Amino acid sequence: MIWTSGVFFILAVMALLVINQARRSRAEIPILAQLPEFTFIQQNGQPFELINMKGKISVVDFIFTRCKGPCPIMATKMGELYNLYSGSEKVQFVSISVDPDNDSLPVLRDYAARQGVTDNRWVFLRAPIDSVINLSENGFKIAADDLPGGHTTRFILVDSKGRIRGYYDGLDNASLEIMKTHIRRLLQETR
Amino acid sequence: MAFITTLATYLAIFIGGLVRVTGAGLGCPDWPKCFGRWFPPTSISQLPPNIDPSLFNLTLAWIEYINRLGGVILGILILITAIMAIRRYRNIPRIIIPSVVAALIVAFQGWQGGQVVASELRPLYVSIHMGLAFMIVSLMIYITQQAYYIDYPDNEKGSSYPTNISVYIGFLWILTIVQVIFGTEIRSALGYIPSQFPLLPESEWLSKVGSTSYIHAILGLVIAVGTWQTAIKILKGSKPASYIVRCGSWGILLLAFLQVLIGAVLSFVGLPEVLRIFHLWVASMLIGIQLMLYSALRQYRRSQ
Repeated sequence: MIWTSGVFFILAVMALLVINQARRSRAEIPILAQLPEFTFIQQNGQPFELINMKGKISVVDFIFTRCKGPCPIMATKMGELYNLYSGSEKVQFVSISVDPDNDSLPVLRDYAARQGVTDNRWVFLRAPIDSVINLSENGFKIAADDLPGGHTTRFILVDSKGRIRGYYDGLDNASLEIMKTHIRRLLQETR
Repeated sequence: MAFITTLATYLAIFIGGLVRVTGAGLGCPDWPKCFGRWFPPTSISQLPPNIDPSLFNLTLAWIEYINRLGGVILGILILITAIMAIRRYRNIPRIIIPSVVAALIVAFQGWQGGQVVASELRPLYVSIHMGLAFMIVSLMIYITQQAYYIDYPDNEKGSSYPTNISVYIGFLWILTIVQVIFGTEIRSALGYIPSQFPLLPESEWLSKVGSTSYIHAILGLVIAVGTWQTAIKILKGSKPASYIVRCGSWGILLLAFLQVLIGAVLSFVGLPEVLRIFHLWVASMLIGIQLMLYSALRQYRRSQ
């Protein structure tokens, strides 16, 4: 009888540990995909590559400067985040233009200035449209059918190893709050 | 050997229950390999390119992998049992046949486990997977006991039991199996409820299952009371009961009590995972011991 109770007890404790570990593992921020190598140009004319994302946590979105739809709201949200994380060099913001024909580097520089960007924590990238579509679909796993108007309104969280860790609705405060908690957790991982 | 295999089967059923409650069934999305490997990956970089990386969860992959590994080890144990049975009890069909059938079922069970994964845990397939495990454990108990009676044929000589008691046991055994089927129905229904009622607290899920959960509760009480009566009848009315029958009677008495207790906690307090495993595990033991008692009483009649 004692022996049987012992077996039950040991199995119960083991099961509890396993169940707890399984629950914790679900709470972790998933690693969704590794970004491929790419080379785009920043608004200041410098190249921007995957290596520029390593060691930092990046929030990425797709925009174009003439956009009158969701982009102003996205830019406002991104600007708020840019100011919120101004104390950290570890968090950067990356806006990729989906309208390279119109968004020349001077146009992007002007746009950046209007968003109040004063340092290189928020960069605006330009590349030929084919490269943009390729990176969007094969890198960020986001459809790029109907550019520039049909670009995504999501913010994409990329960790310090260039891996996608989450997608958030750039127009929705609740979703962005979740992203902020994830950024905090990723910052702890990076340390 | 058959006894060790029986214990190993119970352990495998427990691990299977663990896979079910942790939701690790798709911990390895492919079969028989795990993420295209014989040994689960330890990091995302080891994943093959054709597999969606968002499916990877190291913990769940290992829980599922241990279940599969346990299944393979169990398969080998059952195979060894069957080979030993063929060599040692060549002319005794009541050992040979169940041993070979158990080996065939465990092989089928391995393949069927793959179907469970391929179907993305279709409830019917999950339940069949569990049902097969119960069949294997029943066969192993039967083999163990028959081998014991061959070595000790006089085990039930000198015992005397109340009349028709084996009929009661057989009836309880069938009722318990029906009860387990209702239990799997409830478990399947619980899988849908969180998506249909996302705001409902876990303690109220059972209330949405419908009539099945009430039938399960009432039938559970009927079985428990029937089991207690039968067990007490055996313990009091036998002159004397053999060691196996005495232990078996106490076994079903206690297990039926334990099972009602766990069931009550599950329905009134909530559905803690660990208790769900034990609810199923105790059911498998109850069925096993009922079968053992039934065989013992038949052995008694044979030795009359």
